[in-house]
Amino acid sequence: MNESARLEVVGRPARRKDAREKVRGKAGYTTDISLPGMLHAKALRSAIAHARLVGIDASAARELPGVHAVLTGDGIGDDIAPTYGYFIKDQPIVALDKVRYEGDTVAAVAAETEAIADAALRLIKVEYEELPPVASIEDALSDGAAELFEEAPMGIVPAYGTGASAELRPRPNVCYRFNYETGSPDVFETCDHVFEDTFHFSRMQHFHLEPFAAVAQWLDGDRIEVSTSCQNPFALRKELGRVFKLPENSISVRVPFVGGGYGSKNNCKAEPIAILLARMTGRPVRFALTHDENFLTNTQHAAVLKLKTGVMNDGTLVARDSEIFLDSGAYSDASPLVAEKAGYRIPGPYRYRHIRTSCDCVMTNTAPAGPFRGFGGTQTSWACESQMDMIADRLGMDPLEFRMKNLIDLGEPFVPGESGMDSDLRAGLELVAREIGYHDRKKNPVPNRGVGLALGFKDGGGVNKPAQARIKVSTFGDIFLHCGTVEIGQGAHSALSAVVAEILGAPAGRVRYMPINTDHTPYDQGTNASSAISVMGQAVERAARSLRAQVLDFAADRLGAEPQDLDLEDWHIRKGNEALPLAPMIMGHFGGTGWEFTADGFHKAETDHSAPLETQCVFWELGWGAADIEVDPDTGLITVHKLVVSGDAGQAINPLVCRGQDEGAAIMGLGQALFEEMVYDGTRLMNGDAFAYRVPMAQDLPAEFVSITQEQGHGPGPFGAKGMGEGGMLPVAPAIANALFDATGVRVAALPLSPPRVKAALAKNS
Amino acid sequence: MSDTVSITCTVNGEPVAADVPASTTLADFIREACGLTGTKIACGHAVCGACTIHLDGVPVASCSAYAFEADGSEIRTVEGLEDADGELDPVQAAFADLSAFQCGYCTSGMIMLARALLDRDPNPSGETIRKWLSSNICRCTGYEMIVEAVARAAEAANPGTMR
Ligand code: FES
Ligand code: FES
Repeated sequence: MNESARLEVVGRPARRKDAREKVRGKAGYTTDISLPGMLHAKALRSAIAHARLVGIDASAARELPGVHAVLTGDGIGDDIAPTYGYFIKDQPIVALDKVRYEGDTVAAVAAETEAIADAALRLIKVEYEELPPVASIEDALSDGAAELFEEAPMGIVPAYGTGASAELRPRPNVCYRFNYETGSPDVFETCDHVFEDTFHFSRMQHFHLEPFAAVAQWLDGDRIEVSTSCQNPFALRKELGRVFKLPENSISVRVPFVGGGYGSKNNCKAEPIAILLARMTGRPVRFALTHDENFLTNTQHAAVLKLKTGVMNDGTLVARDSEIFLDSGAYSDASPLVAEKAGYRIPGPYRYRHIRTSCDCVMTNTAPAGPFRGFGGTQTSWACESQMDMIADRLGMDPLEFRMKNLIDLGEPFVPGESGMDSDLRAGLELVAREIGYHDRKKNPVPNRGVGLALGFKDGGGVNKPAQARIKVSTFGDIFLHCGTVEIGQGAHSALSAVVAEILGAPAGRVRYMPINTDHTPYDQGTNASSAISVMGQAVERAARSLRAQVLDFAADRLGAEPQDLDLEDWHIRKGNEALPLAPMIMGHFGGTGWEFTADGFHKAETDHSAPLETQCVFWELGWGAADIEVDPDTGLITVHKLVVSGDAGQAINPLVCRGQDEGAAIMGLGQALFEEMVYDGTRLMNGDAFAYRVPMAQDLPAEFVSITQEQGHGPGPFGAKGMGEGGMLPVAPAIANALFDATGVRVAALPLSPPRVKAALAKNS
Repeated sequence: MSDTVSITCTVNGEPVAADVPASTTLADFIREACGLTGTKIACGHAVCGACTIHLDGVPVASCSAYAFEADGSEIRTVEGLEDADGELDPVQAAFADLSAFQCGYCTSGMIMLARALLDRDPNPSGETIRKWLSSNICRCTGYEMIVEAVARAAEAANPGTMR
């Protein structure tokens, strides 16, 4: 009997563990924390995009009744490393010598109330010497452009494996460049055709509803305790240790429920200011940004992608040369990592004989761009999948057939040294094609109506990502699960608890997912890269299997039996027809106060120099998509009649949760495709609040919206599971652009596909 | 102090009397003075509806109303939906059973909005549900499962009468 046929907990559409708390308003978020004596912080933001700081006068603010501290750059001493960042430490806690975007943090105030803190900000006088602004990728790379950083900030390049490399600051206003190459470029000469196309990708804001927020206090004057809305508490702790020059066992990071992040809540955001103000005042400090300030804190990367693709007459792909430019905004944040991923993913899941890519992180005087669901893969899927249809058209081939011919096979490595493809890509594509009616689309053609397909693709599970989990079970079978995966909405508490319950033969309700506190919680690199089930899931699975073995060994000793003749069932030992309760056995051996079984589980992909990114990809995350759309030629308005998305969960731990991940991602992708965009006029963000920035609402749902969770069973996670959560976003924009081409013969290579842009493209064509 | 106002109201059926600064929003009054943090503040601009509560039965964006506007009124928040035994309201139960939430930050507001809809129209069409839900934002779910949960809640309260 195969294992999945007898799963008791895994695979069921159960209520999530956090359901009762969340539907009753009882779930605790960072923004809900209130400590005795707590002060409130607010930040002063630059109204100028690029300027040297000449002077700050905060004396009037300091004197305002109710104000306890004002933090400015000149008040930061040598006891603090004043800048932070992922690979490049370039972002100051508050401005030191320059401001680099409208919204840059100039000063911060701690006061009795937020209203007093806001009033104090208005009393701070700042003198600037304006510098020429750098508004766009084009501006930044033009000759004689002003430089955001005249000197290279401190930074590192991680180790890369075969074919991959990177450099810091390869040219002014580029903080990082990632390169990848495999095979010989000579093969371009053998191609029947070489097609060069350029694609533009607009930037979105994450629009998480819980703002960036942290509540910090100093214990005994030399230890930090910070609760924060954060996706990667251990990485944050390391960075805070560097900034505040403290040992990591003097910093305790706690993460309650997180009210959405979609990537943005990695690394330092509100924490350094909250911690510094807490130190200055000797009081707990809460620093919660407003939703408007979220727009000024972290965004997706706008991008320009130039693709040169060589192909044979019969549709065989041969070579892909790509140049990508990411708009990183004013600080590097996660840009180097996004560049690495965009540069790596741009070929898509197809077979080539030669690949060469470079991806530049271009600095501009706009809000810093960072991790965003898809992590470079959204940008690359947009360009790659649009060009696939363009090439098919030029060759006179059917786009589905063209893809089928070139897709990587199940088990085939993505590139030399990589892990094998762990989904049947053709089966998924055929599934969505059928669901959208692709094969019948030409039977009754309707003017201005068309169908398009796309296959979003990324490597999932992160690079070189270690994770550890700990399980304890008390005398009476109460299960404690300690692991660092943050519950950010994805359902990780439920999924990881279900894995434990399944292996320990316990009802899911017996498992409690313990609160995250870096003092006690085993190490995890971060809740990102769709890694909860694929990476932490493996650590949890090992911990559970090890605990189960311990318990069976213990019982075998007590019963004079062999462990393999025993089974564990709801904290009873099943031996033949008998079910023997464990509690009396435990107290009989360990004494009346009982005992706790404890087991750890660890997972990390092997370091492997032959893999381009130094570890093989944990799993491949796919998003198959198809759209049936109609465009109004008079207005350019696209109506999506039907949207189909599908991901491969490998094995769904909870099908409801998997469905929610794909649908949420897909509707985010729908916003990206049709209207969502941070609009800049030069360096000024024109729609930086919820009034002006439009996200999808229920009324924007397509008339038919189908999501299909495949369970192909090839994942590395527990019971064959793969990660989810990002894939559903990736195919939506290119599928709609491809449908628009099918409907009208007009290709739009820039996002969003808004009515004015589409109308203009149609007009140009006719 | 002249910029302080006295407010007398009921919150989830309990009488409440408090003096607060006149500029206090209804959301801050509920979260801070009443300690009911189930009501969330997100956009702060009456756009997203995360802060939706019922004021005399009417769904209101509490971030964009003043506390004094609630003087003499009945306030109902998400904490007031379950009955005395902790039995969930059908809307809450449907959200829990159908996983109509992810991060949960929009959930209180969505549930209060859906409750207000079902109070007015116990058998809403799918169209009506979508229309109503379009006054609130959920960034996580893609809405479809929320729409289904509201339909399920209506069905549960009125078995066999779904349109
Ligand atoms: S927080 Fe009140 S409507 Fe958004
Ligand atoms: S559940 Fe996260 S915003 Fe709706």
